[in-house]
Amino acid sequence: MNPIITAFANGIKKSGVELSNMVLVSDIPFEPEIIKELGVDFFHITRGRAIAFGTGLKLGNPDLKIVAFIGDLMTLGGNHLVHSGRRNMEMLVICVNNFVYREIAGTPAPSVSPGFSAFSTFEKPFNAPHLANSCGAVFTARWTALHTNDLTNSIANALDKRGFSVIEVLSPGPNFYKDINQIDSELLDFYYKNSVTKNNEDTRNVEITPGEKIITGEFTDKEKPTFIDTYNAQLSKILGDKFIPHGGQSGGD
Amino acid sequence: MKTNLKAVLTGTHTLSGNEAFIEGAFAAGCRFLAAYPIMPAIETIERYLKRSAEVGATFIQMEDEISALAAVIGASWTGKKSMTVTSGPGFSNMMEHLGLGVMLETPCVIVDVQQSGPSLGIPTRAGQGDMMQARWGSHGDYEVITLSPSSPQEMFDFTIKAFNFSEKYRTPVIIMSDEYVAHKKEKVIIPRADEIKITPRRYFKGQKDKYLPFKRDKDFVPRMVDIGDGYKFHVTGLTHDDKGYPIMLEECQEYNVHPILWKIRNDTEKIIEFQEIGTKDAEIVIVYYGATSGAASKAIKQARDLGIKVGSLKLDTVWPFPDKKITELAEKVKAFVVPEINYGQIVSEVERCSYGNANVVFVSHGENGIDNTEDIVSAIKLALNEEKIKKGIIEYQSQTGRV
Repeated sequence: MNPIITAFANGIKKSGVELSNMVLVSDIPFEPEIIKELGVDFFHITRGRAIAFGTGLKLGNPDLKIVAFIGDLMTLGGNHLVHSGRRNMEMLVICVNNFVYREIAGTPAPSVSPGFSAFSTFEKPFNAPHLANSCGAVFTARWTALHTNDLTNSIANALDKRGFSVIEVLSPGPNFYKDINQIDSELLDFYYKNSVTKNNEDTRNVEITPGEKIITGEFTDKEKPTFIDTYNAQLSKILGDKFIPHGGQSGGD
Repeated sequence: MKTNLKAVLTGTHTLSGNEAFIEGAFAAGCRFLAAYPIMPAIETIERYLKRSAEVGATFIQMEDEISALAAVIGASWTGKKSMTVTSGPGFSNMMEHLGLGVMLETPCVIVDVQQSGPSLGIPTRAGQGDMMQARWGSHGDYEVITLSPSSPQEMFDFTIKAFNFSEKYRTPVIIMSDEYVAHKKEKVIIPRADEIKITPRRYFKGQKDKYLPFKRDKDFVPRMVDIGDGYKFHVTGLTHDDKGYPIMLEECQEYNVHPILWKIRNDTEKIIEFQEIGTKDAEIVIVYYGATSGAASKAIKQARDLGIKVGSLKLDTVWPFPDKKITELAEKVKAFVVPEINYGQIVSEVERCSYGNANVVFVSHGENGIDNTEDIVSAIKLALNEEKIKKGIIEYQSQTGRV
């Protein structure tokens, strides 16, 4: 996780985002001291539901910048991903993909290609950037945890975007080929050597396949009205002057 | 707190329970609803949408009830009073996040418009089958406050109470409505805004770097701040300390969870509300709540006309359960009669608190709907004629409607 946090911290610095408005929502327990160091509000909540929780935060206070770190994105969080993409709910989702459930030896995640994990799996995997792109995300990217600079840039770019952005970060998991003690450098090295960067690649082509190079890069970058934009536009069309813009001086109390 | 006058529809109206709920919520200061549509709760959303623009309230239709409650808990941390509405199947979906709301000590209100169950049941018929689920449905130990309205007027009044309790104790509060109360249209009197008592959120007002999200006041209730106000705090659903940092130790489990339970247990006498009528000289006391109120009050009148000394205890808050009151009454009366639209839930609580001092007769309205006054009267007669104290619950065998 640590290289991702570093990239995240640098990404915030590089972007134009006010730190005081930033909230992190995650289903992964972070080291609290790291969060303190980052200087953001932090919610560690139920598995896979960070997007839904973040939706409430965003609508409660539209000035907030929501970043959701999610492990169980394509399983428990799948439907929230799909619908938030459709709505273009303004937030950045960082999917930390280590292919396995860390605590449970070898249980494959739905992003695993056949043959990747210790127990292996025969199911077809999700292609996370393609899934997000198809649902309507305005920004998608994939990097490994070792692509520190690229990841930093992508995080900064995504933070500056209005809309639903998804960055997939491939990060080492303990049961992925290696013994847990050997994991760090060797595995990262593996990722790095076996990946190739193709920016603006069609997300249909970026599926992770064993024996082939992992395609990294920024794939989607488009503009679309956000949920709050459309909400306000729709209601002011119907109500005219009576309408109080969403998240404005709400309710007067 | 400044009150938005448009939010309080002062005057006399004819409203259904579902509509009265929304008016109660707006009057209480609620400005956020996240929900997934379900019968028979759906009219609440329609009413909310109709009124939300002039009130300045936000609505989002989420993808399911799991995300609806997650969004509600999130929105509550931004300082908005928040709620969700659902019915049985959706309520089951919400159970994980009910626990999250308890653990993060987040004020919010959930309305469960009960229908028949299990599973899909009959979405258009009243039920009271979720009473135990509200109390025990989420994993781990928790206390919950539930209110059980029996009319649109109570729906309005109890909704305000529910928001007040949720702010006072920093906990989710559940309103156990049902299809009957939800759809029944009656006169509802909405008072002036300045006549409505609102419990404000208990905010931390110290230095920004000194805020601890779970540091408790003497009554075990911690103080809140609004997210985005620069307090930079850490919150987790894992067992945590005052700082909100996860600590995986047994001592911390005790340190964390004990006060979450006892902030409510210590105050049960202040929370519990019931309406007690004619129990002084009563031989039989009918204990009821929610939709069975109509049939129960009719039965009480009929039994009194027959010369039977019947008293009644209508539970406004079902959880926490009025243990003391039932125990006290059990020593004086011969029997309790408990009608419910289920196959026995709150009746077992009445029996538990009776300690064998009074008979407990259960009238199941499982299939008979909410109007079966006759059964209750017959059950009263049965209770009266039952001489010896029997252990366990005596189930009244209905003469009508059984398959």
